[in-house]
Amino acid sequence: MCGETAVKPRFTHMPLEQYIYTGTVLKWLLGLAWLLPLVGFAIEIFGGAWGKRLDPVAGGRKLRLAGYLAVFCIGTGFLLSLTALVVWKGGTGVALMPTAEAVSHGDHAAPDGGEHGSDDHAVDHGEHAGHDGSGDKPQQATEGDARGQSPAAEAHGHGEADAHQEGGGHEAHANDPYAAAFSGTYYELARFGNLRLTIDYYIDGLTVLMFCMVTLIATCIHIFAIGYMSDELTEDYEDHFVHLSGGRHFHRPGRFYRFFAFMSLFCFSMLGLVIAGNIFQVFVFWELVGICSYLLIGFYVERHSASTAANKAFIMNRVGDFGFLIGLMILWTYFGTFQFANVSPAGSPDAANGPGLFQMVRDSRGDLQVEETADEQVVMLQGSGSADDTSSPRSIPYWLLVAAGVGIFGGCIGKSAQFPLQPWLPDAMEGPTPVSALVHSATMVAAGVYLAGRFYPMFTPEVLLVIAYVGCITLFIGATIAIVATDIKRVLAYSTISQLGYMMLALGVGGWAAGIYHLITHAFFKSLMFLCSGSVIHGCHHEQEMTRMGGLYKKMPITCGAMLVGVVAISGLAFWIPLAGLTGLSGFYSKDAIVASSLAFMAGNPNHFLLFLVPLVTAGITAFYMFRLWFMTFAGQPRDQHVYDHAHESPRVMTTPLIILSVFAVGCAWFGVLENWILTSEPAHVAAGLTSAYHVLLTMPSHHAIHAMHHTAGTAALIAAVTGALLSAVFYWKGLVDPESVRKPFAGVHHFLVEKWEFDNLYDVMFVRPVHVVASWCTAFDKYVLDGILHLLSRLTVATSAWDRKFDETVVDGLVNLLGNTTYGVGRSLQVVQTGRLRQYVMFIVVGVLGLFVLLIMFFPRA
Amino acid sequence: MSASEILNGLIHGDLPRSAEVFGPEIVLCLTVVALLLLRLFSLDRSVPPYVVALFGSLVAFTGVLAQFVYFTTFGGEVGGTPLGMGETLFKLFLLTPEGAGTAGGIFTGLLMHDAFTLFFRLGLTFFLVLVVALTVLTGIPDNEDGPDFYTLLVGSTIGMLVATTANHLLMLFLGVEMMSVPSYVMVGFLKGRRSSSEAALKYVVYGAGTAGVMLYGISLLAGLMGTADFAELGPRLAYLVEGEGVGLSNPNIVASLLAVMMVLVGLAFKLSLVPFHFWCPDAFEGAPAEVGGYLSVASKAAAFALLVRFLLAVTGGQGESLASLNLYIGIALGAIAAVSMTFGNLAAYSQTNVKRLLAYSTIAHAGYMLMAVSAMMVIVNAPASSGWSPARIQVEAARCLEGLMYYLAVYLFMNLAAFAIVALIRNQTFSEEIKDYNGLAHHSGTMTLLCVCMGIALFSLIGLPPFGGFFAKMMIFASVLNAGSIHWTMWALLAIGGLNTIFSVFYYMRVLKAMFIAPRPEESRTLAVPGILGAYVLVITLPILLTGASPLQNNLSATAHYVASVLFP
Repeated sequence: MCGETAVKPRFTHMPLEQYIYTGTVLKWLLGLAWLLPLVGFAIEIFGGAWGKRLDPVAGGRKLRLAGYLAVFCIGTGFLLSLTALVVWKGGTGVALMPTAEAVSHGDHAAPDGGEHGSDDHAVDHGEHAGHDGSGDKPQQATEGDARGQSPAAEAHGHGEADAHQEGGGHEAHANDPYAAAFSGTYYELARFGNLRLTIDYYIDGLTVLMFCMVTLIATCIHIFAIGYMSDELTEDYEDHFVHLSGGRHFHRPGRFYRFFAFMSLFCFSMLGLVIAGNIFQVFVFWELVGICSYLLIGFYVERHSASTAANKAFIMNRVGDFGFLIGLMILWTYFGTFQFANVSPAGSPDAANGPGLFQMVRDSRGDLQVEETADEQVVMLQGSGSADDTSSPRSIPYWLLVAAGVGIFGGCIGKSAQFPLQPWLPDAMEGPTPVSALVHSATMVAAGVYLAGRFYPMFTPEVLLVIAYVGCITLFIGATIAIVATDIKRVLAYSTISQLGYMMLALGVGGWAAGIYHLITHAFFKSLMFLCSGSVIHGCHHEQEMTRMGGLYKKMPITCGAMLVGVVAISGLAFWIPLAGLTGLSGFYSKDAIVASSLAFMAGNPNHFLLFLVPLVTAGITAFYMFRLWFMTFAGQPRDQHVYDHAHESPRVMTTPLIILSVFAVGCAWFGVLENWILTSEPAHVAAGLTSAYHVLLTMPSHHAIHAMHHTAGTAALIAAVTGALLSAVFYWKGLVDPESVRKPFAGVHHFLVEKWEFDNLYDVMFVRPVHVVASWCTAFDKYVLDGILHLLSRLTVATSAWDRKFDETVVDGLVNLLGNTTYGVGRSLQVVQTGRLRQYVMFIVVGVLGLFVLLIMFFPRA
Repeated sequence: MSASEILNGLIHGDLPRSAEVFGPEIVLCLTVVALLLLRLFSLDRSVPPYVVALFGSLVAFTGVLAQFVYFTTFGGEVGGTPLGMGETLFKLFLLTPEGAGTAGGIFTGLLMHDAFTLFFRLGLTFFLVLVVALTVLTGIPDNEDGPDFYTLLVGSTIGMLVATTANHLLMLFLGVEMMSVPSYVMVGFLKGRRSSSEAALKYVVYGAGTAGVMLYGISLLAGLMGTADFAELGPRLAYLVEGEGVGLSNPNIVASLLAVMMVLVGLAFKLSLVPFHFWCPDAFEGAPAEVGGYLSVASKAAAFALLVRFLLAVTGGQGESLASLNLYIGIALGAIAAVSMTFGNLAAYSQTNVKRLLAYSTIAHAGYMLMAVSAMMVIVNAPASSGWSPARIQVEAARCLEGLMYYLAVYLFMNLAAFAIVALIRNQTFSEEIKDYNGLAHHSGTMTLLCVCMGIALFSLIGLPPFGGFFAKMMIFASVLNAGSIHWTMWALLAIGGLNTIFSVFYYMRVLKAMFIAPRPEESRTLAVPGILGAYVLVITLPILLTGASPLQNNLSATAHYVASVLFP
């Protein structure tokens, strides 16, 4: 992806009043969009429970209101986000559409743009000019290449002289992510020493984009869910998947309101994660989306598989979060702040908070300042250690910065289901399909990618390499398993894992914008496909096995068409359209960008050739398994007449969201708007790339370098995708080759894939069973040793008090009674009230006073 | 000096100020008179007596509150501007800077007026309002007996107010008797019940006996010193014991030790400290739970105020001999505290009756609170060899009292809540046996609320965070820990206190276990508790939480600290 050919937004920092005004409006617009779902959640969960209790019959029917309320909340959130987009664009003066003026800014856009000036597409989407079929551009590209290399050659760290020499060019290309950003504090929760725990906001192009994307998709899915979950509206829901003894099914009241309450809570958490202005706040909402995911996966809690899957997801995520916590600790220790960046200009209310993490770790040009000390490399921190802030150290050891980065990325691994923590995601499909669409494909699992993107300035090249390899492994594993999966939702789940791997890979190889780009396009087409699968499942009465489907295109044409859009989009196919040139659906552009980034990376680091080959091959596999899904479901002849006969198209409340999402899946990447939008937030150091610096022999491709690879990479990816699609057609549509005949020679491989690379078994042996063993030891210790001590203690206490009572009753009372009996015994029987006891009492006063006095005298200190 | 001169002196000198400060007590006296007149003219059928009692106690409470606010903002050591809201209130109670605004003796120094007494008077009148409200809700005195009961209740409160303000040995005796005599009758208020009458009789006889002992002590003390004024007590005592050595060879020391001890015996009776506690379980078991709650809190608070005042009077003088004598008294009090709490907690364990269990629990709690007094005595009389600077002694001694007052404030709510819930449950189940509490929490609605509140009250009594009881106990333990650096016995006391906290968990939990874990008996009928009762219990339970982990905790302890520091100028 060559960002500088697409028009780079150039703007100066806005005036103070404008910053404060725009920032305040944005803060409250997005804040309202963020909090509305929380209000919705509160009303739904309490109103639902109480409404039901107050009026079990009518209350149940009124619960449909919960769905409408949830839609209202998130829909309003979407409108607010759109308003925020307008305000943000107006306030910052960012140009999202490539205009003539903007083109002149991008010095590099000139050659390409000029070349294809007559070509709409080239203007729309400059960097794809290279794909325009003719393929005669390499000569032109070399110029860009040469110029691209020179900033890339700038040395980081010590290369001060170089940096100055090339400074002008560098500055011209680098994006200033802080220029269009707003940061500040909503509320300060607590202050411990100089640790401030605050609810911050950090609003830049990426935040606004994520808000728009999340709220739009969530609105569509909420509407869809009103239809999909309508069977929960009954007072007596029969769960066909829970078998009780005697062949009966489990019956329970419907949980319509609860579903929407959880969905609203999820939206609140997700938006909170996106708007968060500090990494600690991200962590809080990170855990909140985790718990929402847990609740929603386990929505059918009576099903054993569902509750197990919920636990699995939750526990695996905790493993990743452990790394996250370690990262947080390191950051806090060395930086003394959690805030991302403080972009408030002097004079605005939040300016006094000091620099944020990103500003401390990188200088104004986005470079790390690495210095060699006697025994280690340290990264010098910017803007810290000033007179009023002496507590935070001036530098952080390099290896600790790496550790922090890897730790934070550990959290992303868990949340985004990356290798080796990916097995939870397919199981998470136990939740209702709208949940899979919203939480486990489009938004929550993308949160890991989002965080990796947001936290990009903190990642050193080593961390990026880790990210790249993790992504690379993940995308391959996910894709291969998807080939053999037969459950329609599981195919999509593995495809999600694989696509998330692509995003991570892109981030890791220096294609920051490519990764985020794919995150957005993927969100649209994957939520679309999940909703389609939901529509199929709904229409086929909860049949999920593709082996029992087929030929459904006649029964559900809208779903079929929408699914085809999604399949083509994810496969990255493009078509030659007269006048428009080579035009693809959204996935084509983003995947292209990723493959180009990795190719450029490979060009710089030949050792890491796998980082290009694997995604390229997998692009073919992707097309193969996605078309396989479509062919098996919709094309050909029905495999199960019973399912086919009862299948029906879904009601309009479910198909309308499909159509809306289809539109976005097709066109969200057109006209270059999305890419420009993303590029406004690109960290400053990405554009120029990186030559080998510090002690790492690793180069990062610059925008120029990536752009240079576009023809090659794009062509290769397209060829791979077409091959995959054709193969799939051969196997599953035309039936020219029987899949069985291919499977037989590779039975071992097939089994390995069906068993999901044996990950579940491996983890079972490695972790689950040892834990069980240790747990049984602990139980035994608790039961026999600790409880034994406790019982002994309690028995001792009882014994002591019994002894005490006995002493009181026999010895003391006995003594007194003896005294009383002998002295006053004669007259006692005559008394109505037990005056005998009374007299003893008086005796006791005397005895007490005398005894005390004697004791006092006895123990009086001798002088 | 002729009688007219004395009268003149009274009117032109002390009386206006005294009457102003004594106003709330006078209001209570008028309430008693009104109640009696009500009965005399048979008006009690048209005007329910509780209305009069509630009104009177509310007015008295408002009066004390006005004085407290006035004192802390106008007079005293804290300067300030008039409060807009309180202005009317101050005018209503005719408060003047020379009167309620100035600390010092009233009634020619018989009574004391300062932040410390104001704090206790505020607590006591507030508590009176709560108890009257509780009796209205539980209906323990029916309309017939109403005037009698409230006369006794209000009268006893007047006695407590006098006791907290006493600044003279005679007032000490008078206060103790005034608060005791009505409570004897109240314990026996359930006339039809034999156990009640028996308990009352025991209480009377025991009270009379200890009063006698105390009177001995007072006469001995007054005889030795030639004065009964607290302000004079310390210096004269110092003069008396000085010079002839600290040991027992000094007869004055033995005599004054005996005298002080005998006075303390009278107070120990009110505090139900071992070995003068025998009346306590019987009286509480026989008395209605409302009276039990009242006695366990109010008379204890008054007695503690008196104890602190008396002990500070005794320590008022200078000199090594006096200091070592007082240090010894402090350690002895620590020993009593240790024995009391250990005995109380252990004996409570085998009880089957909730009221009896709570009675033993109050004995234990008196022990905990006495720890603070003991620590204070040790700190105030720290020998020069301990190396404590006077400033540090001041601060730490004030901290002891701060803990004591905080404990009393929390104790007011948690013990009242416990007894109130016992009374309310008794109204439903007609039983106060623990076994009849089985499965109460499984009843619906308000009964569950009562059980939850009981849980909170008992957890707080145990001293579990985040409830107020924990912080109160922590403050006292911290003071004792500090005092340990002066005398090692304080550390031993602390260890015993800690152990006792553990002991106490067991028996409190038994009640909760019965309520929450034990199954509801098959044949039990549904218990419907009116919601208003739940609301009352909630209102008195809420402060337990508020005095715990909440911002209010800071406010209250700051107030307690201010009040306590007044005593150590």
